[in-house]
Amino acid sequence: MTSNRPSLPTPGSTGSDLSSSTSSNNSDNNQIPNLHSLQNSSSQLSIKSNSWRASVNFGSKGVSVADSEGFSISRREINEDDARLVYVNDPLKTNETFEFCGNSIRTGKYSVFTFLPRNLFEQFHRVAYMYFLIIAILNQLPQLAVFGRGASILPLASVLFVTAVKDAYEDWRRHKADKIENNRLSSVLVNDQFQHKRSKDIQVGEIVKVSADETIPCDIVVLCTSDPTGVAYVQTINLDGESNLKTRYAKQETLSRVPGKDVISGLIKCEKPNRNIYGFQANMEVDGKRVSLGPSNIILRGCVIKNTDWAVGVAVYAGRETKAMLNNSGAPSKRSRLETHMNREIILLSFFLVTLCIIVSACAGFWLRRHQDELDIMPFYRRKDYSKEQVENYNYYGLGMEIFFSFLMSVIVFQIMIPISLYISMELVRVGQAYFMIRDDKMFDAASNTRFQCRALNINEDLGQIKYVFSDKTGTLTENKMEFQFASISGVDYSGEKIEFYGEQGGYNIQVDGQVWRPKMKVQVDSKLLKLSKTRNDTKSSKEIYDFFLALAACNTIVPIVVNTSNPNEKLIDYQGESPDEQALVYAAAAYGFMLIERTSGHIVIDIQGERQRFNVLGMHEFDSDRKRMSVILGYPDSTVKVFVKGADTTMFKVIDESLNLSVVKSTENHLHSYSSIGLRTLVVGMRALSIAEFDTWQTSYEIASTALMGRAGLLRKVAVNIENNLSLLGASAIEDRLQKGVPEAIESLRKAGIKVWVLTGDKQETAISIGYSSKLLTSKMMQIIINNNSKMSCKKSLEDALVTSRKLINVTRASEDDASSVALIIDGTSLVYILDSELEEQLFELASKCAVVLCCRVAPLQKAGIVALIKNRTDDMTLAIGDGANDVSMIQMADVGVGISGQEGRQAVMASDFAMGQFRFLVPLMLVHGHWNYQRMAYMILYNFYRNALFVFILFWYVLYTGFTLTTSITEWSSVLYSVIYTAIPTIVVGILDKDLSRKSLMTYPQLYGSGQRKESYNAKLFWVTMVDTLWQSVVVFFIPLLAFWESDIDSSSLGDLWTLAVVFIVNIHLAMDVIRWTWISHASIWGSIIATCICVIIIDAIPALPGYWAIFNLASSGLFWICLLGILIASMIPRFIVKMFMQHCKPCDRQIAREAEKFQNAMEITRNGEIEMNLPHR
Amino acid sequence: MNNQVTNGASKSKRISKKPQYSRFTQQELPAWKPILTPGWVIASFLAIAFLFIPIGLVSLFASERVVEIVYRYDQDCVPEMYRGNVTAYIQNSLTNKTCVENITVPKKMDPPIFVYYQLDNFYQNHRRYVKSRSDKQLRSAAYEYSTKECEPKERVNTTPVTWVPIVPCGLIAWSLFNDTYNLIMEDKVLDINKKGIAWKSDKNVKFGSNVYPKNFQYGAPIGGGKLNESIPLSEQEDLMVWMRTAALPTFRKLYGKINTSLEAHDTITVVLQNNYNTYSFGGQKKLVLSTTTWIGGKNDFLGIAYLTVGGICLFMALNFILLYVFKPRPLGDPSYLSWNRKTVS
Repeated sequence: MTSNRPSLPTPGSTGSDLSSSTSSNNSDNNQIPNLHSLQNSSSQLSIKSNSWRASVNFGSKGVSVADSEGFSISRREINEDDARLVYVNDPLKTNETFEFCGNSIRTGKYSVFTFLPRNLFEQFHRVAYMYFLIIAILNQLPQLAVFGRGASILPLASVLFVTAVKDAYEDWRRHKADKIENNRLSSVLVNDQFQHKRSKDIQVGEIVKVSADETIPCDIVVLCTSDPTGVAYVQTINLDGESNLKTRYAKQETLSRVPGKDVISGLIKCEKPNRNIYGFQANMEVDGKRVSLGPSNIILRGCVIKNTDWAVGVAVYAGRETKAMLNNSGAPSKRSRLETHMNREIILLSFFLVTLCIIVSACAGFWLRRHQDELDIMPFYRRKDYSKEQVENYNYYGLGMEIFFSFLMSVIVFQIMIPISLYISMELVRVGQAYFMIRDDKMFDAASNTRFQCRALNINEDLGQIKYVFSDKTGTLTENKMEFQFASISGVDYSGEKIEFYGEQGGYNIQVDGQVWRPKMKVQVDSKLLKLSKTRNDTKSSKEIYDFFLALAACNTIVPIVVNTSNPNEKLIDYQGESPDEQALVYAAAAYGFMLIERTSGHIVIDIQGERQRFNVLGMHEFDSDRKRMSVILGYPDSTVKVFVKGADTTMFKVIDESLNLSVVKSTENHLHSYSSIGLRTLVVGMRALSIAEFDTWQTSYEIASTALMGRAGLLRKVAVNIENNLSLLGASAIEDRLQKGVPEAIESLRKAGIKVWVLTGDKQETAISIGYSSKLLTSKMMQIIINNNSKMSCKKSLEDALVTSRKLINVTRASEDDASSVALIIDGTSLVYILDSELEEQLFELASKCAVVLCCRVAPLQKAGIVALIKNRTDDMTLAIGDGANDVSMIQMADVGVGISGQEGRQAVMASDFAMGQFRFLVPLMLVHGHWNYQRMAYMILYNFYRNALFVFILFWYVLYTGFTLTTSITEWSSVLYSVIYTAIPTIVVGILDKDLSRKSLMTYPQLYGSGQRKESYNAKLFWVTMVDTLWQSVVVFFIPLLAFWESDIDSSSLGDLWTLAVVFIVNIHLAMDVIRWTWISHASIWGSIIATCICVIIIDAIPALPGYWAIFNLASSGLFWICLLGILIASMIPRFIVKMFMQHCKPCDRQIAREAEKFQNAMEITRNGEIEMNLPHR
Repeated sequence: MNNQVTNGASKSKRISKKPQYSRFTQQELPAWKPILTPGWVIASFLAIAFLFIPIGLVSLFASERVVEIVYRYDQDCVPEMYRGNVTAYIQNSLTNKTCVENITVPKKMDPPIFVYYQLDNFYQNHRRYVKSRSDKQLRSAAYEYSTKECEPKERVNTTPVTWVPIVPCGLIAWSLFNDTYNLIMEDKVLDINKKGIAWKSDKNVKFGSNVYPKNFQYGAPIGGGKLNESIPLSEQEDLMVWMRTAALPTFRKLYGKINTSLEAHDTITVVLQNNYNTYSFGGQKKLVLSTTTWIGGKNDFLGIAYLTVGGICLFMALNFILLYVFKPRPLGDPSYLSWNRKTVS
């Protein structure tokens, strides 16, 4: 097995820090406990660019570039220009040179005075508002004044007002929160005494003391802590959501100084504030020595000190320059596919608009030309103004200008052809849809107590059109809750029957001062092994078992924390650490009677079968991805010294002395193979006793290395490699990362829905394949194509072979009409290095698109994004990426829709995602139910809004043809304005939020119904044109029935206008009513309410004596002709639509239609026949 | 399985974030889900047909009952000698505009008989025209000077710097129709009642009883009729009718009502004053005598439209019946789902 990772930079590089140099290692790498998985994989991403959207190169080069860059930055000297200088304990000097910002924060955007201008400025950033504004301004020109002042400004003003009120409220809440935050008290060193100071008064350079369970007020570099070795434990839950403890260190140079007694001074040179919460680089000059600082030396604002009495640090970033504040930005914005398509149609609509305007202005030109001799005389034109001294033209600027003015006026009159209000409606609808998605109790994860989160508010409808799902494995398909399963100790496999301890008496526990202490998590134990581990004698096997479990308990970075329970006599030991694998191992050791109960940096206390033993931790070599192992040097109470090593099998077998016991090694290898083939994560443990001479050599070099200023990490690695050899094999452990609940069913549903599920993982191939089987991604009927190559040529060859095979197989399948057998492609990261970003990509794409399943193993984070890009750039299909770890961030951002699992691995993925949820299986209700609904709703809403606005414009247009092309509207200007604000706005929004074409049950029972979104059935160019033809017909009916009925009658303009207003509002709402599928009381209220509201508005407008149309509606309503017209319009306009709809329903029913009928008529029958796919098992 | 949660998390654990169940938030509000089954489709087509055909017949019948006399007089009333230069004739205030014609009543006309004048090709809905009025000024004497909107017919300049407003101002009022009709039957003047031709709302509210015409039709050019300056606007019904601007370029306006019945073959002599200038822009003038029914004047269009729609619906009902009989489809049969169809075939 080869690693796709580049080798580390050579030792000896400058300024490198202990933990920042532990290599990039993604958290999927399941072989090894990841001590710094998060720090490294994310620094790899974010160091490259501080913005979340780094431009990346996905191929081999990209990976190595990103990796090495991550290191090179940590090695690089900080440039003088980019540095900030912090004089420790000298805030005056620190702040006199540069203006660093104080610690007061202001998340509020506005103050009382800046609110109006700034808010308006921000609102007008939107194109929609600019359009409104330009039209309104045009209308203010006297030559173009189509509408009155009030009427033309009202729509814009109302939208601006509503948004401003919303913004003001949100800002007020932010101001309140800021106030609380700024006035929190913290302890600051002033004149060598710690005094309480309000948080907002803290300055950069000041020394801050934080006690246990206190929140850090600003980003501080740790100087010393209550722990003599300078360790501080912090919880970063406020920052990234991770609840486990992380360790932070004070530098040896400073940790012995007690503030207030000793003088602390120094100069910290650190990088400019940035938003990378996992990276920090600086150096500190203390007493003339230069010490480098890394991410493990800084505690960020918002973290909480735990398990440490106090910590003292110097503020380096304050206020809005803290990393927590810099990270306070919103989710990335994406634009939905539907909206992109919609914009295409909007361009068409603007062509329509321009065409209408050209027709009107050209006709107006001809009319004026034909009548040019009569214009002076015509009583209704009267070009000349005779009232003045000199007879001059009145409001007439020559033919050319008149044509131009007609054009602009027609733009103003027909402005709503471009459905600008649609953008605002869509925003509202998406907020409504998000409301229901968040509150869906089927997507609530009880285990982590998390609701569904909508982080991006503009791609709801994309969820209904997904064709490809790219999933991470660890933590996404699996729970990432490690459980110790099997052990192989000295070649003996203990994978027998399991006993599970439950209840008060069960499990291993110890007595401490009359109290019972027990591990917090219970582990299934092997009864045989348990018995063996309890019998302590000097047999060889018993000793090996002793060493094995001691290694598990000792060789880690886990911190035990004693937690009180409701029972005063019982306490729980909670093992805290950054790696879930290590936690599982320590819990397992505890279950077998090796309970770790105390850890400081100098020693550990382990309770071994009821007997407390104290071991000195003489040294620890932390995990790095090059060695892929870690080791700890333990000093026994009897002063023997042993080194314990655990790590991945690939690297461990290299350092194990096989000559000691070859058969043990062989059988252990067999066991490892069988473990990983059932999807378990394996670790190999070894040890060696050190002679005094060896120990002394090691100790000297270790001390030199750990105090070295230059290239410390490299030196330490060298020391580690020197000691980690000739080990005797103790055994191997197997940890199960259990599949999440409902994953196989979810994958089955997704596949039925026509969605291709690809799994991209950092795991080994065997583990990936076994997870593939257990999650039903792979079936035994599938033919597997495995591409596993080390060179470009061989990649090319195997791709070509695979293509031939898959073509053949697909032909066979087609012939035999048996679609059960299909092709699965399994490809590893090494091969991808050669394929991505090369001409082989095309072949890979062709192959992959033929495969039902694609599994990529051993892939690096950027390769994940590269694979997503492979599909995204070549097809029109929508992609969704789901993952939980920092290594999935690039993939999540690359895909059209990114979903984050808020799980064990922190919140990096969630923070980069568009949607976040607790479990993989929620993908099914999310896409199949909510995605489907959202897509149908939004698609319908867009078409409906096009129709609604175009209908009104066409009616205005027809009338213009009968007014000498002068853009008179018989519909009052107020009705024109209110048309899209009051008359027809609410029902479409309500339907867009609430209507459901199919019930949740049907959508879950027939996942194939999801295909309607993939096939773009509800919104496409054909539907657009059909809608437009229908619109044209309806406008003809609405306009010409009254026209012909009232031709040669004494009808006045206002009355006819009222008739048109009512008719158009009625048919627009009835049109919607005909398409509503589910009538709840809300839809009834909104649709009929709108019609009633329109009538009331028309009545009110006609009750204003100052308007020419005073009392028109009352006169109109008293005539029979009006009612006959109205009825005729309603029916005649809807008939073609109704006929076509009914005919299609009967002869070419779409799947949704049949399912809907089935829902109503054959509900009971269906459920019994197909059984129900219950995706939402009751939570434990 | 939740053993790993820390203190902080277990605290929040107690406050579960589980969304509170309500039928609203779960989108499970009780709903009516209508599906148009064949029965409903046929029934609705038949219902429309059976509603529309009778209405169509009744409308046609009502329209047929209307007796209407239309007499175009704008050309007949120009003396032979002026036919070549109509504009000169109409603009000359000295020429005799009186014109006498006979018309015959085709059918018995029951009172009330409405007398209209009809203008063709007169754009009362022209943008320049409809805007040129001041509703404020019409309503109250206090707003005599609000003539801003009335340009170009807003005021009369008394001196180069001072001016007085025209009441009523604006193009609409200025172009007031001023042909008059007198009907004589068997040497008896048929009484044309000119009261109550305007809307009550106009009389009571829109046109003020304290607003008197001022400076109206003062100075050339004169657009149309003059107003008696001693009668308040609220009594000037012809003006009110005229100022209800017509929706379409061909329109009628009520001139008055005749409250006696006219028998078939009665001959009526019309004595009219042909004052109004439509000649300069090719307009037409017609005199219309018409009875009304509930449907208004004579108009066959709606009746025909209703019959057509009703007929189409009846036809569609038959079509759908045939479709459902010869090509039935069981509703909601899952075997019609696209993926099931594929495997079956």
